[in-house]
Amino acid sequence: MAYSEVIKNFNRIRDYMREFYVYGFKSRDEYTKKSGRSYDDERRRIESWLGDHMQFRQTQEGKNVFISIDSRTSHHNPLYKAWKTKSFTDGDITLHFILMDILVSADSAISISEIAEQVDMYVSGFDTPRTFDESTIRKKLKEYIAEGIIETEKEGKTLLYKIAPLPERIDEDLLDFFSEVAPCGVIGSFILDKQNERDEEKIAFKHHYITGALDSEILYSLFEAIHEKKAVTIEIVGKNKEAQSEVYVIPLQIRFSAQSGRQYLMAYMPRMKRIRSYRLDGIISVKTEEACEQFDELRETLNGMQVHMWGVSTQSRFKERLEHVDFTIRYGDGEQFIHRRLEREKRCGTVEKIDFNTSRFSADIFDSSELIPWIRTFICRITEINFSNKEIEERFKKDIEDMYSLYGLEGGEKT
Amino acid sequence: MIFSELYSAYYNAVANIIKTAISHPVKKDELRKIIEENAFGESVLNIEPAFAEERWQVIFSDGTTNIENDPVMPFTTAQKRWLKAISLDPRIRLFCDDAFDLPDVEPLFTPDDYVVFDKYSDGDDFEDEGYRERFRLILEAIKEEQTLKISMDDRRGRRLSRIIIPKYLEYSEKDDKFRLFALGKPNGGTFNLGRIIKCEKYTENIEIEKMKEPHHEKCSVVFELYDYRKALERVLLHFAHFEKEVVKESEKKYRVTVVYEKEDETELVIRILSFGPMIKVIEPDDFVNLIKKRLIDQKGCGL
Repeated sequence: MAYSEVIKNFNRIRDYMREFYVYGFKSRDEYTKKSGRSYDDERRRIESWLGDHMQFRQTQEGKNVFISIDSRTSHHNPLYKAWKTKSFTDGDITLHFILMDILVSADSAISISEIAEQVDMYVSGFDTPRTFDESTIRKKLKEYIAEGIIETEKEGKTLLYKIAPLPERIDEDLLDFFSEVAPCGVIGSFILDKQNERDEEKIAFKHHYITGALDSEILYSLFEAIHEKKAVTIEIVGKNKEAQSEVYVIPLQIRFSAQSGRQYLMAYMPRMKRIRSYRLDGIISVKTEEACEQFDELRETLNGMQVHMWGVSTQSRFKERLEHVDFTIRYGDGEQFIHRRLEREKRCGTVEKIDFNTSRFSADIFDSSELIPWIRTFICRITEINFSNKEIEERFKKDIEDMYSLYGLEGGEKT
Repeated sequence: MIFSELYSAYYNAVANIIKTAISHPVKKDELRKIIEENAFGESVLNIEPAFAEERWQVIFSDGTTNIENDPVMPFTTAQKRWLKAISLDPRIRLFCDDAFDLPDVEPLFTPDDYVVFDKYSDGDDFEDEGYRERFRLILEAIKEEQTLKISMDDRRGRRLSRIIIPKYLEYSEKDDKFRLFALGKPNGGTFNLGRIIKCEKYTENIEIEKMKEPHHEKCSVVFELYDYRKALERVLLHFAHFEKEVVKESEKKYRVTVVYEKEDETELVIRILSFGPMIKVIEPDDFVNLIKKRLIDQKGCGL
């Protein structure tokens, strides 16, 4: 098939964009195990969509392509562009603008035959006018009714069509903000696109993870199912990224990380009788199933579990019900902000001020290994640490020893 | 459905081309400019011939159109459901008093349907009416390029005032806070909105030419990344929002360069430490010494 800048299926481009953006060190050869042409086409498309954000580096292994974006200087998520690339037929685009024009001009709702007659008149000025039969027009109208942009009413037995009420202009600052920070923000970006002649953006974003945008359709489907309290069958990729499998689950909540950009589905898995997490970037498709009567009860169970969740883990890796962790830190007289750091950064557990220069954090949680990266941020002031899971404690201490070795500090001070 | 041609850049470009053609026959250079502004790098190669060959029968070859009204599109159900959902977010009132009137629309999500589980708990108080008033005044001042007088308390509780020209706001989801970047004298500055107590328009004359931009100093750090315990994915996702470069040096070893702002250096030091022995900073020496200093201090803690 000939190359086209627009695409029919989002899933393949989703993987390429993530690879180019998050990793960005792979050469063409590492992508072309399946098809070199496919790689070339996807790379060319992304280059066309993202322009200067797409960069190249020549290495011994070949040319590496990567997406470089400083999200602090981009007011809008550049990856949203990928969602604006859906392919369509010549008939689709012609009919779209003509139908909208006919319906916006009509004083009242009109029938399919009136619409079809007018469509013919619209295209009659072209040398080779397109022909749209009534069934094609009816199909397009049905599509637009499902999308919510066209409404119907009945006059006797005749179905009449009218355009849905036109929207008022929405404050651009509001849309700028929520299209970046709210779930499924790409939808806000779609609204912004239709509002031409706008002011310059006034809001920028720090610590802004943009990769989640690529999972917007998955997120949208999951929110729909959660809202309707329905089960879903999700198609997920395995650890080696090749194997795929289907899992039947009750979706309960989405958990977002502001510190990594990861997005997780928390869902009850009837087969295993437990609530667990699934990364959204590992979900390929979502199929909505029947309503789940136990939804409220399961959601309540999940809410109750959150006091013992640091991240998304709902189970000890070592089969304990809960794992205990506590650590003590010391700080100088002028470093009281360190105690405040513990208070504001803790997600569960308790913080205790032992004396003017010492504080202790403690918690009973499902998986204490999830806390390790956070505890390491206090390196230089940790005076005591205890894990009920001794394997994790040993690993933590070993890692610190390994860090000393990395910087040549095994013996004494060597600054 | 989100992936739909209704939201496509091509439809947006064509809507704007039609709008121009309604007012006058659209010329080739105008057409190209509209495509450039609304679509992608290679879009002109598709859109121009589609009109020339009369495949998209909404623009004639002379640049006129058969469409009578400026193209419009009502909100789709997805758009309405998203708007309803964000109207339930307390931050909406930073921008307007009354959220959208969508009485018969089901929200796509409610605050119970999701959690940002690792944002800090001392974020700005978006429910505070005074905060919201100051926020709106600042937004207006950015738009109108107005001068403001802001007051805040320093760490010792002393009241400070500054005359500034706001440039833009910056929001951090992790901190759940807004900061204001502004021109000022003798230096531009960055101010936490949560710490601003008073904010008012300043109408006296100021020497605008002496107002300076806020200071941004770009730095970079280079580290080796050892890909054990899925460190490659974890580290690259964690640092994804920075401008960065990654080079594979061997099967398990990568060299990563991250560009950051000097004022964020301490934050970057602890973020690097959080990856333990999976990362070794190698450049610049100053940064290496910051890590070493913390490790030496840790050795002295007797753990």
